[in-house]
Amino acid sequence: MIRSRVRTAGALALATVATLLLPACGAGSRTPQATAAQVPCEFPAPPQPVSVNVLAYNSSAVDPFTNTMVKSCTKNGLTVNHEPIDFAGQVQKTTATLAGPTGTYDILENYGFVVPTQAADGKIRPLDDLVAKYGAQYGLDQISPAMRKVMTYDGKLYALPMQAQMYVMAYRKDVFDQLGLKPPTTFAELRDVAGKIQAAGQIKYPIALPLLASSDIITAYDSALGSLGVDFVDAQTKQPNFDEPQAAQAFEELRSLLPFMDPQVATFDQPAVQQQMYNGSAAISIMFSGRMSDLTQAKNNRFAQQTAFAAPPSVAGGEALYNTLSVDGWSIPANTKADPELLFNLIAASVGPESSKAAVPAAYPAREGSVTADSSPYAAAALESIGKAPAAEPYPWTSRISNEIRPVVADVILGKTPIAEGQAKMQQLANGVLAQYP
Amino acid sequence: MRRREFLGFVTPSVLVMAGLLVLPLYQTIVWSLQRVNYGEAGEYVGFANYATALADPRFGQAVLFTVQLTVVVVIALIIFGYLLAVLVNSLGRSKPFVLGVLLVSYVVPHVVGGAMFSWLFNSNFGGVLNYAISSVLGTDILWFADAWPNRVMVALNTLWFMIPFAMLVILAGLQSVPEEILEAARIDGAPTWRVHWHVIIPSVRGVLGFVAIISIMDVLRTFDQLVALSPQAVQLGNESVMLYVFNVAFQDGGQQLGLGSAVNVLLIAIIAVMLYPFIRGIAREARHA
Repeated sequence: MIRSRVRTAGALALATVATLLLPACGAGSRTPQATAAQVPCEFPAPPQPVSVNVLAYNSSAVDPFTNTMVKSCTKNGLTVNHEPIDFAGQVQKTTATLAGPTGTYDILENYGFVVPTQAADGKIRPLDDLVAKYGAQYGLDQISPAMRKVMTYDGKLYALPMQAQMYVMAYRKDVFDQLGLKPPTTFAELRDVAGKIQAAGQIKYPIALPLLASSDIITAYDSALGSLGVDFVDAQTKQPNFDEPQAAQAFEELRSLLPFMDPQVATFDQPAVQQQMYNGSAAISIMFSGRMSDLTQAKNNRFAQQTAFAAPPSVAGGEALYNTLSVDGWSIPANTKADPELLFNLIAASVGPESSKAAVPAAYPAREGSVTADSSPYAAAALESIGKAPAAEPYPWTSRISNEIRPVVADVILGKTPIAEGQAKMQQLANGVLAQYP
Repeated sequence: MRRREFLGFVTPSVLVMAGLLVLPLYQTIVWSLQRVNYGEAGEYVGFANYATALADPRFGQAVLFTVQLTVVVVIALIIFGYLLAVLVNSLGRSKPFVLGVLLVSYVVPHVVGGAMFSWLFNSNFGGVLNYAISSVLGTDILWFADAWPNRVMVALNTLWFMIPFAMLVILAGLQSVPEEILEAARIDGAPTWRVHWHVIIPSVRGVLGFVAIISIMDVLRTFDQLVALSPQAVQLGNESVMLYVFNVAFQDGGQQLGLGSAVNVLLIAIIAVMLYPFIRGIAREARHA
């Protein structure tokens, strides 16, 4: 009797153990391949050994530049330190390191969205004098003027462009061919194509967009608004444009895609969208170009051979595409105690011709001519996309307004708030931010 | 014990407590009355941060969600922790092995455990449980986009990683129940459930109270697992108080340290209110001891 009870208790305990361990099933990891080129990195040896701390998030597009810097410039008594970190971590640490009179990091990976805000607050150092001094040595005249403009605030360059990302559309060519479809060039065509794929019955939700409510959704709205030819703020009058008809149209167009997307789309970031393409549960996705390399690799994507690429559609047939140009680059914090000339040699070396060449196809380097139509399966699409991207808004209020209005944008796209009410809220929030920039 | 010896033993603890508890608490209260950015001196704003938080419907919803989650999870923790402890207590030689394995979910970092747990329900990553439940019910459940399924998932995950703690503490309590009392109850013919209800549970009441206190404090500070399990938390009304602090005060390099501090002070008040009945019970027992 007692033995039977013990046996029963043991079975129950083991069942509980199995339940507790079940979530570990399916766990996996994917480590990005280290892509480090050895490039010339010339600087006078410092009198004392020096350590330089680099803050840069890990991604297949940024890693080649960071790894090149660490590998090529750790010499002559200089140690370049870089710890792995994700993008959200980088954002937090950037705020913290720039806050006080001294910081933890000497070189920051930065992006055009926040450069004007940091520059206006005097948190990062202008680089024009250093570009003038070392430009010829590192061939910096080959860095794209358009990308330099994104990193420029009040006429001064605050980050040396490294690489850019723009939206690219990936689609399943086999599905399109089977149904006699062509890559859509407008949202109307996108709805039409998605409807036909849905009707064919193979793929329930053909469109996959990163619309994560806590981050990506604001980029999507910005891209739609930009494609309709409207900025968040009229830079001349400093008036928000959320009361314009295009602000409502952007919402309507994005909402019109919902029937063709997974009902949980507002929980999907870019890796989740990639996963939908890997699984074959989506036939069309629009993401930043830095995510496309993964789609072309058979080890990730069993549909790699059937995946083709095109520029994203425009929202309503205009010249500007549903797109956002995001430029990454290197900045030097104003509070670093390290020699700015030494630091500039490091960042200039990392965006040199060799490292830029080695970064292709994972990245779209800022150095002109690095990417040609033959560079990768999606290079032609990226080239077309970057040429038709809406202009950036390099103003200190842009990132702050984006953060403020993001929950409202999510509520409107998810149908929790009517469009007109959402527009009014966004206009009010944006005016609140702009009031701090007299 | 001499006065010098007493001071020698007590002083290090007092210094550590003052440095790690009192000073941060003092600074939090000071910042809650200021507008503060990283690396800059604060500017006194009175109770403006408290007014901002209390006027925000999102804060009210975050408090409601957090308190509901705490009540449900703590009750479940005590019930299932007790049952599990009884099961483990009745094991023979396999007890150390089972105990070791049971503790795995407790030591896994919450955000990692949350990510693994989310894959069980995410069809994009296999979603074993989602597949099984959908097959049985014949309908798709939106675990991440519908409020109540998402709450169930969050509660199950919280239970999953906290139950080993509850089980371990209650197990220690069970082992301290005198065998003679149990033997007497059985000789008197009491069935098993009455032995538990009238003999064992009253004997381990203090232990159950301790589990409740620690669990209430832990669940009220729910944060990490929501990052993976509730990416749409704000829209679903499934934002915990700590996630609200992060989203409002720190997300995307935000610098509202004053507002974040005010919400933390309010959270301390909520914790104190929820712990009051348990602390009063313990104090009463201590007086009667």
